[in-house]
Amino acid sequence: MSQANTGCAVEVAAEEPRARESLWSKALYKFMHDRMGMWSLAVVALYGIIALGVWAGLWGQGWSANDGPMWAPPSSEYWLGTNIIGQDIFQRAIFSTKTAFEVGLVVAVLSTILGGLLGALSGFFSNRWADELILWLMGVLDSIPFYLFVAAIAFALSGFPYAMHVAMVLTFWTATARLVRGEVIKLKNFEFVEAARAIGVPQFTIIFRHILPNTFHILLVQATIVFVGAIKSEVILSFLGLGVKNGVSWGLMIAESTQEVQAGHFSNFITASAFLFVLVMAFNMFSDALQDALDPKKVQ
Amino acid sequence: MIPITVFQALRKALVLAVLPLSLLGCGAGVDVEKALEGHLNGPPKIYRHSLAGAPASLDPLNSATMYANTIMTNVYDTLYRYKYLARPYEITPNLATGMPEVSEDGLTYVFRIKPGVYFIDDPAFPDGKGRELTAADFVYSIQRHFDPNNRSQGSWLWAGRIIGLDDWGKQGADYNAEVEGLKALDRYTIQIKLKKPYPQLIHTFAQGFSAIVPREAVARYGREFAVHPVGSGPFRMLRYEPGTYALMVRNVKFRQEPIDLQAEGFDPKLHDGFGLEAIQGKAPPLVDVLKIDFIKQSAAQWASFTKGNEIQFTGVPVEQVEEVLASKQRPLKLKPEYAEKYRMSHAIEAGFVHTDFNMRDPAIGYNDDPEREKRNKQLRCAIRAAFDWEDRNQRFYSGIGVIFPGIIPPVVPEFDPNLSRESVTRDLDKARALMRAGGWTAENLPTLVYGGVASVTTRQMFEQFRGWMKAIGFPEEKVVFDSYATFGDFNKAVKQAKIMIVGMGWGLDYPDAQNTLQLFYGPYGSPGSNNSNYNNPEYNRLYEQAAVMQPSPERTRIYRKMNEIMIDDCVSNTGLSRDRIMMWHKNVISYADRQIVGGFHLRFVDVLQKEEN
Amino acid sequence: MEMLQYTLRKLITGIPLVLGVTLISFVLMVYFGPDKTYDLLGKNPTPEEIAQVRHQLGYDQPFVVRYLDYLRELVTLDFGYSDSSGERVGSILKRTIPVSLAVILPGFILGNLLGVVLALVAAYHRGGWIDKLIMAGSVVGMSVSFLIVIIAFQVIFSSSYGLNWFPVLGWDVYSFWDYLRYVTVPTLASVFVALGYNTRFYRAVIVEEMGRDHVRTARAYGASPAELLFKSILKNSLIPIITRIMFSIPLVVVSGSLLIESYFGIPGVGKVAFDAITTGDQPILKAVVGLTAVLFVVVLIINDILYKVVDPRVSLK
Repeated sequence: MSQANTGCAVEVAAEEPRARESLWSKALYKFMHDRMGMWSLAVVALYGIIALGVWAGLWGQGWSANDGPMWAPPSSEYWLGTNIIGQDIFQRAIFSTKTAFEVGLVVAVLSTILGGLLGALSGFFSNRWADELILWLMGVLDSIPFYLFVAAIAFALSGFPYAMHVAMVLTFWTATARLVRGEVIKLKNFEFVEAARAIGVPQFTIIFRHILPNTFHILLVQATIVFVGAIKSEVILSFLGLGVKNGVSWGLMIAESTQEVQAGHFSNFITASAFLFVLVMAFNMFSDALQDALDPKKVQ
Repeated sequence: MIPITVFQALRKALVLAVLPLSLLGCGAGVDVEKALEGHLNGPPKIYRHSLAGAPASLDPLNSATMYANTIMTNVYDTLYRYKYLARPYEITPNLATGMPEVSEDGLTYVFRIKPGVYFIDDPAFPDGKGRELTAADFVYSIQRHFDPNNRSQGSWLWAGRIIGLDDWGKQGADYNAEVEGLKALDRYTIQIKLKKPYPQLIHTFAQGFSAIVPREAVARYGREFAVHPVGSGPFRMLRYEPGTYALMVRNVKFRQEPIDLQAEGFDPKLHDGFGLEAIQGKAPPLVDVLKIDFIKQSAAQWASFTKGNEIQFTGVPVEQVEEVLASKQRPLKLKPEYAEKYRMSHAIEAGFVHTDFNMRDPAIGYNDDPEREKRNKQLRCAIRAAFDWEDRNQRFYSGIGVIFPGIIPPVVPEFDPNLSRESVTRDLDKARALMRAGGWTAENLPTLVYGGVASVTTRQMFEQFRGWMKAIGFPEEKVVFDSYATFGDFNKAVKQAKIMIVGMGWGLDYPDAQNTLQLFYGPYGSPGSNNSNYNNPEYNRLYEQAAVMQPSPERTRIYRKMNEIMIDDCVSNTGLSRDRIMMWHKNVISYADRQIVGGFHLRFVDVLQKEEN
Repeated sequence: MEMLQYTLRKLITGIPLVLGVTLISFVLMVYFGPDKTYDLLGKNPTPEEIAQVRHQLGYDQPFVVRYLDYLRELVTLDFGYSDSSGERVGSILKRTIPVSLAVILPGFILGNLLGVVLALVAAYHRGGWIDKLIMAGSVVGMSVSFLIVIIAFQVIFSSSYGLNWFPVLGWDVYSFWDYLRYVTVPTLASVFVALGYNTRFYRAVIVEEMGRDHVRTARAYGASPAELLFKSILKNSLIPIITRIMFSIPLVVVSGSLLIESYFGIPGVGKVAFDAITTGDQPILKAVVGLTAVLFVVVLIINDILYKVVDPRVSLK
């Protein structure tokens, strides 16, 4: 690459981060002044700390001990009572927070990466064969009913503990990819990209250095949406027997409770539902606030 | 093409929703009236039964579950059935005129069947009129199991036992060819010749597998015969929604045989308060409509039962037992508020639950290294000593199950109440001592893999098991759950001997301990029914010896000896027979049974009409 | 003529999609799917019997043969017999699809209708407390798990612990009255769950539409609110609304009703499909997944054509 070109490229590149920085700093400012957003972030953070604590072995470690009485009511020893085999429901709910974050994070991160990459490729090469192929793949995955698809993967990967995660990633990435693809097609025609292309910057550099970073706000928001989707799906999949293999989760607790509620033992059901609801609610609101902050054009 | 299908479906849904059909009782309505036209005086008597599972197929070839058997014994005829009330269970003629004539050597059986028994009317017959059932139909119905084009799950009952039958199948299943050991001597006489004595033969003819089907219906419906039963039983199928319900109406052509309560085993002391006296002298079936709902979720089944206007019978789910029983001391009694509305009976199941070790797994069972094999046995015995049957009974079987050592359950006559209970008593000190003796430490212990279907209860049982194992020094990560999403996959893994520790339940096919002893007979190892793959030459020899013996004290002695051998080898944590509580609405006259009598009891069920109540 | 060509071209582009879906679902659900052999065998089977059942099930055929068989079945719409009950797959679908539709349609229609109405109210009062209330309500609705709603509603409406107004389960429908009794609780549950999502979606669409120049102009010229609503806003929001509804259809028919059907014991196609997965009943699975894929592609094409009709600017390329 000739010197002149490098200089020019630096100039081009120097122009666009500034716009990006202002977007993010504006967003941060806006978010900080969104009371609901900050509150919901605090709740999510609290759950995050609980999950980290479980992971570090600080609490929730007694989730599997089954030495309590059967269906004990709440007491100072068992804060929220016990289940049929004498396990502490509160400890199980706390431990399940870790499970939820594990599922949410793994699925959100992987499907965002996959969706971002394939979406960017597809958008950049729009109307070429790569794009057609990716679009076809997305169309195919979107046409298979979600639960049947997940169930099928769970069976096909029988015994593999992360079958559920794989299935969710495979279904959730397409939404992100479609959004990124749209954004990239728009960005592609912007001056800085055309300029970069004109001076011969390699295509992959353009995609990864210049285009993808400009879709980060979409990726961030999508990641939060996928996170919530994953946690909610886990509950239903665990109920259907296709979910978490080791440990315990809110879904498994709710599955346990379906027999108990008809006999008047509501603790498992209420505890798991409440933990799940508060986290999902907070995450939904956090996600909304994030969208508001990051999307300057969004109409309110 | 597709949108049209959707459109049609939509239109159909609307028609379904709007069409105003007159309501009658449970909604069976118009169809029932039409089916019983001219045979009803007044409103039809309706009994709504429920089962906790659904039959997969209604072809007698696949009568492999209690659910299928229940339907089969009501729409088809079998040669024998079990007496309604007699306990222990007693076999009695059904379509047969009496007990078979058996030759001196126990090899030749002659069965006579009742004349004048007709199949229900069905388009499969010429003119749609059901013809008379004959001995040839019985022969045909058994032959079908050996036809390689069929998928029989019942052929094991007769395989290798009846002369010429297996070969008949292998030679192409020509229904016109005669089988030496299975012949219709005339219109009403059947002769069976055995290769060696088979004392349980008569019991196999009280099973749904041996239900008698007409050839015409099989020919007409082909594979769909499995949803379109055509029989001669007390009921006929009116509507069948696989997996959801079966709606049957009285077979108006069913032979009139007045009930003799004494002959059915009625005991005024045992059967007091069930109102059974009222059915004396009536001819089954006693209700016009029999609807059986298949409800898998116990909570839903219970809710439907207690509503009052839905199902009239339920098994009491474990989580409701505390709620309905006044006390768990025997005799069990309902709380007054339940006794006011419902009747209850309970019965120790004809079967048991047990948790086997897979002896083909070198980490816990047989091993080429004799030293390791010895240590494995110590490990198994330690696990068994840590297995807490009492706790399992309390949590999962309402504390009313019957714990017994070995594999001869209380329901069979060979049961030994005086057998040492050591093998079913938790003893942590003994367990730890065995662990030490075997040199087992947290580091060198094998990982225990507990296999099961991914259901809530199985998972909870596993977690309970893990708790017990932790108590004798297993680290948490060395006790793992291997979950299978479907029973089919789980079963396959079991049959391929891939699962190390497997919890199983066994329901007896007939009340003879031979049926449970075969579960540990070496040659029946996977893919057979011996899931533990236990293979002890002494045990096998005794099994073969007893298999051809008629019931006798000598046979009982051999059975018990086998039981002890198997207990000493620590191959299974066993066992517990569940005590199952059944309840039905008070206007129903019944003495329900869910096992050996099973479906046969439904023909005796009567319902009091409002004015009689 | 141009329209016909366009339709044909779209139809042709649908073929790879159908092939893709069938291939993926075939690999997952059939080739690696659950094995039914041991379900169909009796006790103590011999190796010959095992081989015989595997042969009857077609498990011993090579991959390509089995996949081509599947495609042939899809084209002829003849999927054979269920491996469990022995009933013809066609008659199973004919029996269960109407039930599923009857269960799901009221909730689906009400959920969308109420969603649009609430969205209009919210958009009309944009920024006001009514708007905030509705939006807060929809976030709450979105945050409750479907499963929890179903369990809670069943306890509240149908059990003896609650109001005990409706049947707990089943589908004994012989009259319109029966229908109402059985469909009410499932409908309430599905409306409850869908409403949050629908309201948010429709509000966003409507608010965007309200911000458009022609609406502003109309408003400036003093058009009445009703006129504005029906002439300008709703008419133009119709495309995204229809799209959303159309794309829900294939999934509503199958997976949307799975939870409801299995929890309320309703013999619909969702339950049948799920049971087929858990028991490895491949003929049923093949039919359900294949037909859903075809339906999806058809919807996709109809949708494109509708776009074309409504908005002539869409290029015919």
